[in-house]
Amino acid sequence: MFRRVLIANRGEIALRVQRTCREMGIETVAVYSDPDRNALHVRNADHAVRIGPGPALESYLVIDKIIAAAKATGADAIHPGYGFLSENPRFADACAVAGITFIGPPADAMRALGGKISGRRLMQEAGVPVVPGADNISVDDFATAKREADRIGFPLLVKASAGGGGRGIRLVQRAEDLENAMRASGSEASTSFGDATIFLEKYVSPARHIEVQMIADAHGNVRAFGERECSIQRRNQKLVEEAPSVAVTPEIRKRLCDAAVAAAKSCGYRNAGTVEFLMDREGNFYFLEVNARLQVEHPVTELVYGGVDLVALQLRVAAGEPLPDLDAPIEPTGWAIECRINGENPYANFAPSVGLIDYLQVPSGPGVRFDSMLFEGLDVPVYYDSLLGKLIVWAETRPQAIERMKRALKDLIVSGVDSNVPFHLALFDEPDFRSGDFSTSWLEANFKMPEPPADDPRLETALIAGALAASLIAGSSESGLTAQGPTRWVQASRAQARRGIRVEGGVRGWRRGIASR
Amino acid sequence: MATRHRFSVAGVLHTVSVDDAGDRLVVRIDDRDPIEVDATTEGVPGLFSLVRGGRPSRAYVTRDGKNLRVIVDGRSFVLSPGSGSRERGAAGGLADPPGKITAPLAGVVVDVRVKPGDRIEARQVVVVVEAMKMQNEVQAPHSGTVTAVKVQQGGRAEKGELLVEYTPDATA
Repeated sequence: MFRRVLIANRGEIALRVQRTCREMGIETVAVYSDPDRNALHVRNADHAVRIGPGPALESYLVIDKIIAAAKATGADAIHPGYGFLSENPRFADACAVAGITFIGPPADAMRALGGKISGRRLMQEAGVPVVPGADNISVDDFATAKREADRIGFPLLVKASAGGGGRGIRLVQRAEDLENAMRASGSEASTSFGDATIFLEKYVSPARHIEVQMIADAHGNVRAFGERECSIQRRNQKLVEEAPSVAVTPEIRKRLCDAAVAAAKSCGYRNAGTVEFLMDREGNFYFLEVNARLQVEHPVTELVYGGVDLVALQLRVAAGEPLPDLDAPIEPTGWAIECRINGENPYANFAPSVGLIDYLQVPSGPGVRFDSMLFEGLDVPVYYDSLLGKLIVWAETRPQAIERMKRALKDLIVSGVDSNVPFHLALFDEPDFRSGDFSTSWLEANFKMPEPPADDPRLETALIAGALAASLIAGSSESGLTAQGPTRWVQASRAQARRGIRVEGGVRGWRRGIASR
Repeated sequence: MATRHRFSVAGVLHTVSVDDAGDRLVVRIDDRDPIEVDATTEGVPGLFSLVRGGRPSRAYVTRDGKNLRVIVDGRSFVLSPGSGSRERGAAGGLADPPGKITAPLAGVVVDVRVKPGDRIEARQVVVVVEAMKMQNEVQAPHSGTVTAVKVQQGGRAEKGELLVEYTPDATA
């Protein structure tokens, strides 16, 4: 096993990996940008290395700096987390050149899965269902494309083989629009990725986003861990994930897991990965892509598979150990739901929100897990994504998990930034969500953030607390004094309130002093 | 001895009076019946525990500029002092009074699109502030002539920080 692991990431996932390392007796190396100096992943590590200023392009994405930090601290392995360099084959290559184990798939497997057309062909050969389509077309050969399009049927998608982020994709409703869409897609792909290769794909809609967690060792073993349901998305960002899915029967689950194992074996995959599928209303599923990393939503899988520690498995297989429990059942136990707690205001079109966390109350109790980078005194940086933490619950059934999540959301207090907690609370009251009747387009098409009720009883509480706080801020040297001296609540409150009022300027000013050094 | 507070919440004005009766507080909201409240912030500054008629409730209060932000069971209220003419949550950019343009949120200034002497039109984008990988275009609320630009590309802007000063056109 490794002696010292560098975690090339930040935020909650850096903490998540650190925790497992500590439990396994492995030392951790943190890397940090200047605005992350105060972050928990730096405070909690055994070693910490500064890697540059705030923008990720000058810090967390610079391969040379990460490798240099690993060498300087004597790390024998690097865990990339998710995002940043996690799916960059050049980073995996650089680790190999430096003699450091990359805790993730081989660079060759990443490359094979990277191109959409090559990925499709790989999966077809492995017997994994792919979305019906045609990859034998080109922008110049409209006649072939027309023939293939008629075979596939409309509506369909014209897609670019290279790149991602939704670029080079066109939805075509009618045959007469095909030629224009092909030209537009090809030229956009050519401009963006320097590769005009396009292909056609049936438009599967409405569809659920169903994905299967798998992990492969260096001895040819692959284990699949059932499915996650990730259809609740906004602008292609997942917001709520659950395991299992209401739409997946044991029979479908078996086929999904078999497909995920075949996908992993087709490209010599190793370590943890996620095979993403689109699933239609009839339960037909089609390969979408492989996420060659640990994912944000991995905890829901951990909770319904007996508390398995996926990070520990990643470390073990990266160190060459064989996967344990290969004949474990693929049926999950109970139900898990994850809410992504983002720093954004659901009442202002989800505008991002940053600031100093001045108070944090973390939910706990049966079946509740909170993976988060938050602590009181953290100044949430503006440079990175808006994920503050992940609230995850487990219960015996889905309805119980929903109620447990609502309870936990109400117990969560994050003060200092706006959070999307009100969005989650509203979502869990939606009949479509509660019945499980949704697809990837449901949220944007059907969900509207409800304005809070005018007669909300919470308003009275807020007004009273606000009035008392205002009295304290105004200086309760006059109000609240009686002939017997300050009253009980004023005595108890005054010193605390003074501290509370001043801590903001103090902590923030101090942080700025460091940052502007 | 009573204190009175006027708060605007989501554009609605509320009056709250607090009368300290020694062992308890008597609170009156708008023209409703008085409520007896046992209140404490013992332990954590800003974290209030209220007991009304045997029913506890909890709230966390923090200052946000001139406003108070109060969080109660997953809902966040912004209590603005006074009249309540301002829209909830609206600040900076288009919500600014004539003459100054301030940042509606904290972030990194990724683009400055005006310089002193430039003519600007209402709703013209003057500065782009990026926070958490999202770009936010700050628009001019009125037309006029730029007199000063207070931020630089690559610099950090705080919420409410002055970005651009301009001489607004005289309204016709």
